[in-house]
Amino acid sequence: MPAVAPIEIAQAREAPLSAAGREAVFETRGLTVSYGKALAVAGVDLSIYRNLVTAIIGPSGCGKSTYLRSLNRMNDLIPAARVEGEVLYHGQNIYADGVDPVEVRRRIGMVFQKPNPFPKSIYDNVAWGLRVLGMKDDLDGRVERALTQAALWDEVKDRLKKGAFGLSGGQQQRLCLARAIAVEPDVVLLDEPASALDPIATSKIEDLMHELKNEYTLVIVTHNMQQAARVADMTAFFTLERSESGGHGVLVEYDETPKIFTQPSDKRTEGYVTGRFG
Amino acid sequence: MRITFQEELEQVEAALQEEGDYVLRALRAAVNALEQADPELANEVIAFDDEIDNRYFSIQEGIQSLLARQTPVAVDLRLVLAMLHTNLHLERMGDYCVTIAKLTKLVADAEPDEGLVQAFEEMGQRAEEMIRIALGSFQRRDLDAASSLVDLDELIDRANRRAVERVLDFGADAEKREWGLRMILVSRALERIGDHAVDIGEQTAYLVTGEFREFTDASHPS
Repeated sequence: MPAVAPIEIAQAREAPLSAAGREAVFETRGLTVSYGKALAVAGVDLSIYRNLVTAIIGPSGCGKSTYLRSLNRMNDLIPAARVEGEVLYHGQNIYADGVDPVEVRRRIGMVFQKPNPFPKSIYDNVAWGLRVLGMKDDLDGRVERALTQAALWDEVKDRLKKGAFGLSGGQQQRLCLARAIAVEPDVVLLDEPASALDPIATSKIEDLMHELKNEYTLVIVTHNMQQAARVADMTAFFTLERSESGGHGVLVEYDETPKIFTQPSDKRTEGYVTGRFG
Repeated sequence: MRITFQEELEQVEAALQEEGDYVLRALRAAVNALEQADPELANEVIAFDDEIDNRYFSIQEGIQSLLARQTPVAVDLRLVLAMLHTNLHLERMGDYCVTIAKLTKLVADAEPDEGLVQAFEEMGQRAEEMIRIALGSFQRRDLDAASSLVDLDELIDRANRRAVERVLDFGADAEKREWGLRMILVSRALERIGDHAVDIGEQTAYLVTGEFREFTDASHPS
């Protein structure tokens, strides 16, 4: 009787993206942000990896937006904000002396909760940053590519010179995304990008995130846990640690998203994701 | 706090324990019917399976609704998935009780082998104990108790092998041989009930640890 070869049952499955072996785009070390005397978020050590979607979730007041805004020095625009610790971007502390915040924000773009297009044409919204940064060669091509990447081109290509306010909320948000990626950033930060959108517009943004992470590193703050579960490869859970002076945000747990939503290590994470919190 | 959700989870889990109690009743009655060669009791066992099936379906519906409406995650998700599997294991145990009852009816007129009937009584008791441990460890999230089912299962497996050997010893006696062949199926049914109890133990282990694994793997014996 011939020897029977073992049957190959275990096929290589498409492994979920994980942080293992990936380059850290950001490393924050002991990051603490305060507004005046009020501590907003304290002691965050976190690495954000290249070409992944990283979600930051947590209850109101946990400092997740503050943390996000510290990654491209948006907090600089708030007079009383003070940042301690380090935000290393490809190993460089973006808060070091001599670092130009405008250059930081070119590399690290941002999309906000409410779509905030400029009161200009659709075309000029996307072209504006390119003109400011002197990226004027093939302006039309760059605008088209950005709008295509934001899955908006087909809907607006015949009315590029029309005002951006004529677009729906979901279209406006994708326009803001196009505006952010037109200048070829490395990272896009998204602060509740879909919370003002209806479910269909939301799912378009989520689909886009899946596409865009091939080229960019995405960090999203969201109140919507299921959105984090759907779009993120890595999830960080922040919570509010109460103290005599009110309380401040801390990072509780950071892991691959499936782990956070199936077997979180920390009871506080479990309490939050299962809705038993508070 | 998601109070409604927690209540619904508790209701489904309570229904699962109730289904388990029904299976225990069916098993006791099936073994008694066999021991006493009682076709009427066997008929009751067969009819009673509808009760188990009704619970099975209602738990299935409850789980479907939880998944559709509540999007359970973390420990809640593990509980829902563990209940989904456990529900099916219990329903299968009920089906094995029906198998025993049907075989009992088929051999009602034959002369039983007392030794073998006694062996089935013991196997039945062991299977009942395993079901109790499986249900109790699930309820208490008791990993140690759940793991102990493997050793208990080994005892039933051995009893099953002894039953087969005894039937082989019947030799040329045609009437006894027919009875014996049917009893091999009874033995097998009791042995399978033990296997399903171990499977429920594995669901408890998953619920507690979040890891999918088998306590033992027939294709990779230790």
